[in-house]
Amino acid sequence: MSGTPLELVCPAGTPGALRAAVDAGADVVYLGFRDETNARNFPGLNFSRPELRDGLAYAHERGCRIYVAVNTFAAAGNPDPWHRAVDDAAELGADALILADIGLLDYARRRHPETRRHLSVQASASNPTAIAYYHEAFGVQRVVLPRVLTVTEIARLNAQIPVETEVFAFGGMCVMAEGRCVLSAYATGRSPNMNGVCSPASHVRYEQLGGRMVSRLGRFTINQFPDGEPAGYPTLCKGRFVAGGCAGYLFEEPTSLDASTVLPELMAAGVRALKIEGRQRGRAYIAEVVAAFRRAVDAAARGDPVPPLGLGGMTEGLRETTGAYAKTWR
Amino acid sequence: MTNEPNRGTPSLSPVLLAGFALRPLPLVLLQPALDLAMSLMRRRHSDVFERLDALENASFLIDPVDLPFCFTLRLGPAAPRLWAVGTGGDMESPSAVLRGPLLVLIRLLEGRMDGDAAFFSRDLAVEGDMEAVLTLRNAVDSGGIDLAEDLLSLFGPMNGPARRALGVAEALFARAERDLESVRAAFVASVEGRCDAQTARLRDLEDDLADLRTRMPRANAAGKRAAKPGAARL
Repeated sequence: MSGTPLELVCPAGTPGALRAAVDAGADVVYLGFRDETNARNFPGLNFSRPELRDGLAYAHERGCRIYVAVNTFAAAGNPDPWHRAVDDAAELGADALILADIGLLDYARRRHPETRRHLSVQASASNPTAIAYYHEAFGVQRVVLPRVLTVTEIARLNAQIPVETEVFAFGGMCVMAEGRCVLSAYATGRSPNMNGVCSPASHVRYEQLGGRMVSRLGRFTINQFPDGEPAGYPTLCKGRFVAGGCAGYLFEEPTSLDASTVLPELMAAGVRALKIEGRQRGRAYIAEVVAAFRRAVDAAARGDPVPPLGLGGMTEGLRETTGAYAKTWR
Repeated sequence: MTNEPNRGTPSLSPVLLAGFALRPLPLVLLQPALDLAMSLMRRRHSDVFERLDALENASFLIDPVDLPFCFTLRLGPAAPRLWAVGTGGDMESPSAVLRGPLLVLIRLLEGRMDGDAAFFSRDLAVEGDMEAVLTLRNAVDSGGIDLAEDLLSLFGPMNGPARRALGVAEALFARAERDLESVRAAFVASVEGRCDAQTARLRDLEDDLADLRTRMPRANAAGKRAAKPGAARL
């Protein structure tokens, strides 16, 4: 089966990563400003306004678009940073805004009706009624689906909604309650939803104890990795805890999503775009993963088998999964 | 952070051998080269240092585990400086420690290797202030640093011959890496053979154990049925 190529939406946390994504064949690069208005608010990451202006020029000259994520929830009583982010992104010429907060969606619709609005995965909209509401109330033209749906469920959903869908194709997994997870806030007082950061670096510590690397988040020990065992991120959802006398992963194992093997099925399900996770990752990750998915997306569009991508070295815990797309677990 | 860090066991590599050769060298002799390198970095990669402005007073112990010395990097209001120090924790309370083979650290500096991937594979170990580590990582990753090109920029009109010399040096290094890998493989071949045999034996035992576990419930159930009165007639 051949068809229109899926739009390849790729991350960038720095200008260098943006250029790497564009050069590797991204259709779109998504990014955020250097503050708490986006869900990857890590130290030294993200874009100043001049960097966005330069990035837009670089991308547009090469036929690539830029989406700006303003996808955290505005702080009560202080919406100004979020409003400024929307205004600046729209005025600089971003091709779309990725938003989650309904107040911000309303602001963007009223102030910048000509700029496309996409619904962030942070809004956690995964049923026809919710998605139709976002479309009717705020003119949302695309929804980024949470990583909880099977391919069959996505196909059924696409048949019932008036907007495009974008799904995650590769990268870090989430506890599958995007926009509603409070684990990081419980451990550190800071959350991805409000502060744009899950497991903030200020609360993360690694320690070498004998032959083990111990990772801690706040006052919680997240994991202990013996020498040689691949490591994972220091998030509570991927912690290895002792229960019933056995140490194990209670929520999720450290592993990365790789949906490359189900690209034809996602195309057949009516998905419009694929999102690669990893704005916090380096240029080498961006260049390698984007180039691999460019090959995969083009192969799928031609109706050819998707080639093995060989991205195992880029995955968390050096393991990959198709996640909920091919749900064989409970 | 400990005074006697666990540096692990470095792999056999040209860097490791070069480190042995450098061991008698007083570290102070490296200082002019390190000062020149930092000056060059600041001139050619000012954007990196702009991103590092967020770190007002941070210090890093950068520990190439295959060399007999470490580097310290201090950032702050004054010009950033890099020093060579011994491996025994000469630096007092650095903000953070980055530890890995020299080539891994160079590839990270040049953005040719992803920091998270290096961490996942355990090629890179980090300790201390993770905000400082991430700021440093993100700043250098974005900078487009290319050590060879930066070095060649010093040669001005002699750039051409210097580039050729560098090419020869890179080829020699690659050859030495391959040769040392052959040496390593020859040394460990017999051990690896025994390990393979033991792995195969272990796999057989695991299969046998799994088979026994599958049979046990059935055997137990059959035993219970047989123990029931009248079961023999069934």
